Amino acid sequence: MIQMNRLMLRYPTGKTALSGMTMNIEKGRFAYLTGESGAGKSSLLRCLYGGVRPSSGQLSVQGVDVRRAGQGQIRRLRRDIGIIFQDHRLLFSRTVFENVALPLRVQGWKPDRLVARAEKVLEFVGLKDRLWSFPEALSGGEQQRVAIARAMSTKPPLILADEPTGNLDIDTARHVMDYLMELNRQGSTVIMATHDLHLLDTHPGDIFRLHAGALAEELHLVSGGARPAQQGEAHVPQT
Amino acid sequence: MFRRPDNSAHERNMPRLPGGFSLPPFGLHQWLALIIVCIALWAIGLLWLGLQAGSSWTQGWRADIRFHVYLEKAGNGRVQDLAEKLKTVPGVGAVRIVPQNETRAWLNDWLGGGGHMPDDLLAALPASIEVTPGARSGEFLYADLADAARAFGGSVNRGEAHLVQAQSMLAHVEQMLWFGTLVMALAMVIVISNTLRMTLLARADEIQLMRLLGAGEWFVRMPFLLEGGLLGAGAGALSWLLLWPPLFAVGDWLAQLDADVSGFALFLPLIVGGALVGCLGALLATTRLASENTATA
Repeated sequence: MIQMNRLMLRYPTGKTALSGMTMNIEKGRFAYLTGESGAGKSSLLRCLYGGVRPSSGQLSVQGVDVRRAGQGQIRRLRRDIGIIFQDHRLLFSRTVFENVALPLRVQGWKPDRLVARAEKVLEFVGLKDRLWSFPEALSGGEQQRVAIARAMSTKPPLILADEPTGNLDIDTARHVMDYLMELNRQGSTVIMATHDLHLLDTHPGDIFRLHAGALAEELHLVSGGARPAQQGEAHVPQT
Repeated sequence: MFRRPDNSAHERNMPRLPGGFSLPPFGLHQWLALIIVCIALWAIGLLWLGLQAGSSWTQGWRADIRFHVYLEKAGNGRVQDLAEKLKTVPGVGAVRIVPQNETRAWLNDWLGGGGHMPDDLLAALPASIEVTPGARSGEFLYADLADAARAFGGSVNRGEAHLVQAQSMLAHVEQMLWFGTLVMALAMVIVISNTLRMTLLARADEIQLMRLLGAGEWFVRMPFLLEGGLLGAGAGALSWLLLWPPLFAVGDWLAQLDADVSGFALFLPLIVGGALVGCLGALLATTRLASENTATA
């Protein structure tokens, strides 16, 4: 699903966000990107959806070479990715329905199918009755659930989540994680940047720990037991 | 499972379009642009109505304007000579000596159709020669005809000459009005463009989100194009409505002049023109949206 080799990202300001990152994420996995602030988690996610182009190295997302892809390829790639932001980036001048239906409209869904689809995904996150509400009328947790509904509305094979639980209390964060886990069980590959390590106890997954723009540690979740270490890999037992 | 605050009482209720979509926000900037464009279109509409009135008054619709040359107490020989002379004037298309029975019928009509025409009145009428301007008649045709007629002691109908001069002047005015309309249209495009630029700034998050979701160039531009078009068309419709009070105010005066002016003729031009400048303004405002949607690090 995602392959990167010696990936390097340097911003025009001169700051190096990623330096020689090499990792592979297989289809259907639930991967955590962890690390201190400034470790490169968000920059890596931005590279994955084509928000920034890597300065050097190789990055392939769903078969698309992000570094060399044209604008059209990047647009098509983004339509196959659901993105969840820490600040959820909901449109406050639009209703919940319009927020959730936006990716569907971008993909050219017929207007008469939008309401039914939006209701379905909102039902999944328990907000079907807030279809016509404005985001300002929702709590923080509800807003994040709307963001999840928006990200999953097109059934994307890849979901990128940038600290989706960062602004939530522990209970709400766990429920948001439940939804992401369920999406993963339904077949979506989920990559989530977080420094909320206690979530890993209840919601296990592969862990990629970043430090100073490089991959510092890689821990793979193995179903039914630990997977033998491969070239320095460690394991996270499934709980 | 989740705690839900009871804030439904504070929820906004906005009118929705078919399909569940909200109307785009219509703020102070949009109102200002609407008023400015409306005033500009109204001024243009008034000028075109004025031209329409002038054209109607000077019978601009007539393509068969002819000059009449009169010769008092002349024998057939002199009339024939003058007709031959008039044929040689540059710009003259055709020359015809008007028969006396035709003059009699016209005069009879003019006098109300009584049927009896005194002989002494007929005898006092001048001989009449009808001159049809050619395709290449210039602005000096009247002067040349007058010179030719004067040499034989005749004269040219001044009223007809003034009519032709007025029509020529109105043709120049129309050209200037087209130019003025284009300049005003350009100004309106800039006004709408600036308004939409402010809207773009206010909705930058929405645009960025669309980009992140993989929206194409026209998907992002289309709402703004529609907004610009609707704003322009709305201003056009409003300006058309505002044309009627002045039309009613000068209605009697126009009727006295026998000038036929129709406000309905400007309905489509104002609305379509307004929508067009609105769309062009939106295109101009969204030009920068065409820039790359990914940064190269």
